[in-house]
Amino acid sequence: MTQSTRAFPRRWFDATMDWFDERIALRQLIAASLHVVIPRRAHTYYLGGITLFLFASQAVTGILLSLYYQPTPESAYNSILYIMNQVNFGWLMRSVHAWGANLMIIFCVLHLLRVAVQGAYKKPREITWMVGMGLLFITLGFGFTGYLLPWDQRAFWATTVGTEIASAVPLVGEAIRDFLRAGADVSALTLSRFLGVHMLILPASLVGLLLVHLLIIHQQGLADPHATEEQ
Amino acid sequence: MSDKSKPKNLLPFWPHYVLSELIAWYVILGILVTLAAFLPAGLEDRANPLLTPEHVKPEWYFLSVYQFLKVAAVFSFLGADAPRLLGIVIPGIAMAALFFLPFLDRGPKRPARQRPRMLIILVSVLVILIGLTLWGQYS
Repeated sequence: MTQSTRAFPRRWFDATMDWFDERIALRQLIAASLHVVIPRRAHTYYLGGITLFLFASQAVTGILLSLYYQPTPESAYNSILYIMNQVNFGWLMRSVHAWGANLMIIFCVLHLLRVAVQGAYKKPREITWMVGMGLLFITLGFGFTGYLLPWDQRAFWATTVGTEIASAVPLVGEAIRDFLRAGADVSALTLSRFLGVHMLILPASLVGLLLVHLLIIHQQGLADPHATEEQ
Repeated sequence: MSDKSKPKNLLPFWPHYVLSELIAWYVILGILVTLAAFLPAGLEDRANPLLTPEHVKPEWYFLSVYQFLKVAAVFSFLGADAPRLLGIVIPGIAMAALFFLPFLDRGPKRPARQRPRMLIILVSVLVILIGLTLWGQYS
């Protein structure tokens, strides 16, 4: 053998890549997704990426919390106490989840402001903007539904007044409010409804829209904030 | 990406941009854990539907809409239904306008300094939103 031992990990890696390459053209896939260029003058301030990171953090901490959380008015509060006091690092997971929720909304808005100030929403990026607005609405929905889950006084009454806002909508307002609450008042049904929306409907919607958002960005490249016309 | 762009004006996404993005993530993770460690999530008394607390407020990100709904009482001179109606319709129109912004602002100019009107609208909306939120928080 003339090859040095140092070549071993590299050869091993190449062989693995070759195996996948033969089947799913992996190198081409990686090249297509990563080997792109961005305008040197495009300053994103990493705001969209940070929002993405915060979502990933919310997913991880949220899944861990769901392992201990019990969604009934009788046991929700105690399960939160259990997470905070008994579960190893439970307090950290819940606190990171709570702070991450606030930061995610803040960074969503900062990202929106960056795009608005730089005029990056203009043609041909209208769809990216509207999908992004959808992502902001979903993020707000996450915050709204998640806030109720600890089932303490703050959660209960914030949800009561929050759903009350909807009743101001003309004609259908009270129907919307009762639909959100699953009844006339915030109850056990509201709790299971909010949990289902928070853990299933919103995550699925967010991931779907996020893929569209990223795909269009990848397809179009970043906007050059100093360029007036786009070729 | 235009083919006419000169390569010197372009930056490779990988690894340049990805690396700085990862550093930003690392900083945010640090901030997140620091906040969580020093200001852990609190828990008030168990929910009691029969006991309304003194200062009931929605989450801070809905506070501006909530406060606007309250402030909309000034529209009462337009009729008994006007405050509630305008209190929700005006934020609704503002939201819709933001959603369709690319179709409302169709000028080709992108640099912020060449769009002073847009910048003034943005800053005014932001000031109003922050003002309403603070008003709601401290009233």
